Amino acid sequence: MSARDSAFERRLQQLPPRLRPRDRELPGSGRQWRIETVVLIIVGLLLAIAVVNDVVLGTHVNHRLSADLRTWRAYTGHDYKNVSTEEDVLHFTTVDVVCGNTVPGPPKERTQICLQLTGPVANGRRTVSGGWYLPAKHEDLRRYRYGCYGEPKAKGDCPR
Amino acid sequence: MSVAAQGELQLPRTRAAQWAAPLATVCALLIVAAVAEIVLDGALGHSVLIPKSPQIAGWLTGIGERLGYRVFLIALIAATVGYAGLVALGRSVSKRWAIALLAALHAIVFLGPILLSTDVFSYIDYARIGVVHGLNPYTHGPISATSDPVYHYVGQDWKKVYTAYGPLYTLISYPFGLLGVTGALWGMKVLATLASAVTLALTWRCARARERDPVIAVLLVGANPLYVIYGLGGAHNDLIMMALMMGAVALTFAGRDAPAAASVIAGALVKATVAALLPFMIVARRSRGLLLGAIGALALGVIVAYAVFGIDGVNIVAALNRDAAFVSSDSFATEIAHLFGKPGVFPIDHDLLKLALVVIVLHLLWRTWRGYDWVAAAGWALLAISVTSTWLLAWYILWPLPLAVISRDRRLFVATLAVQALFIVHQMTPLLAPVA
Repeated sequence: MSARDSAFERRLQQLPPRLRPRDRELPGSGRQWRIETVVLIIVGLLLAIAVVNDVVLGTHVNHRLSADLRTWRAYTGHDYKNVSTEEDVLHFTTVDVVCGNTVPGPPKERTQICLQLTGPVANGRRTVSGGWYLPAKHEDLRRYRYGCYGEPKAKGDCPR
Repeated sequence: MSVAAQGELQLPRTRAAQWAAPLATVCALLIVAAVAEIVLDGALGHSVLIPKSPQIAGWLTGIGERLGYRVFLIALIAATVGYAGLVALGRSVSKRWAIALLAALHAIVFLGPILLSTDVFSYIDYARIGVVHGLNPYTHGPISATSDPVYHYVGQDWKKVYTAYGPLYTLISYPFGLLGVTGALWGMKVLATLASAVTLALTWRCARARERDPVIAVLLVGANPLYVIYGLGGAHNDLIMMALMMGAVALTFAGRDAPAAASVIAGALVKATVAALLPFMIVARRSRGLLLGAIGALALGVIVAYAVFGIDGVNIVAALNRDAAFVSSDSFATEIAHLFGKPGVFPIDHDLLKLALVVIVLHLLWRTWRGYDWVAAAGWALLAISVTSTWLLAWYILWPLPLAVISRDRRLFVATLAVQALFIVHQMTPLLAPVA
């Protein structure tokens, strides 16, 4: 026997009409449908704008990273594939750091040269505002940097 | 209107109908070609899109080239265009052709490599942690067994993470842990393919129960590019959850409330998300059998989970809370944060999103109480969970799809496809600006 015939169901039917459960929606609930549809369209538009904005942001970042890699290769004269780029995720500036080996070898297995790149992309490249070296097998942490030049040297980014 | 004028109107319609079937065939072939291209290129092995994996599709190598973003994204767009064509022309596809298309897509993906995700290796690792190493996957992550051959294939982010999957799924996966990595991988692929077949068969049954065209319904689910490429391609356990979800819907349509509730609970013991269906079923059906079925299945599940995994196997809430804190770059929350100039999602945003989800679910429950289609309400709830989640992956936006194709609210289907389309658009950055 279904609970639909039970005392519980009969009790529910004693609720005020606006609170009673229904098996089907009443015809004429078009106003609610329209409000919901408008809300859905607004949310959809917000999501669409956010997605397009994110794609544009991502495209700009990729464009910049490509220029960073080209600049590093042109500056060092090494056409290495494994060159790492690092964005300034702390302050969200467009100052990027690109590091790669000074001589051929597996990634980060040789002494690395890091370049600090700034400014807009011009002719597919960006401005090198300075740089530093890193010992082999070390991450780009401030305490490992040495031989700073340019802006990083002026800022005292190299402890040694 | 004169008979002559009616004839003039009918002529273009007849011509359109004549073109519909060949156009639908072209769309179907486009999807097959796009999926085959991804699989053939993926068979060459590890790339930015193909996870490290034992070579299970070696016999397919030598035809394509290593899968990169450009080819993948062009194939994804092609498959999406083909799918959009099928959505429009679905009525002209015969039952035989629809089944042939879905069988072909399943076969191509089954024979190929694991696509786009390392999750399946986590499933295998958790199984091996239990059956090979004698540890509890609810208290030990893959890092507990670094010597295990599958450890090497587990995603970097997941090596220290305990399983967040339900105890039923963990138990289902245990026998696969005994098959070795390659055997387990094939086992997981078989499981995903079977789960998908069951999902599609139940979608067919539910569509018929609702007097919908079952051919269109299964085409809209089974030929969906995200379903095929990401869901099936990654052999995700979401497909098992979806099969149990559709089982619950089919049983409810047949008036078998207790087994329907048990099926939802079983689904939730695979992946907790599907539990979202239960309140809508309860509010719509108001049936004692449904409540008893849910309580009985939950009690059985908890007892078995506690006996096998201890308290950690039962405490799914803790795992869900942990996962809810994750943030992915594809989540809408992150994209909206970027839109408003914020670097990402902050703790307050997690709270606001949870609040928004609670408001949406309460509204849907009230609408269901007042007669709104509970299938549609449950579909909206699953869509809302994926949209408000800060950790959004392609296979999460598949959850509402089978419900959307059988629901009485057309808006749910449109919204689900719109969300999927936005997800695909968000993947396009490497195509627009490849990093040299």
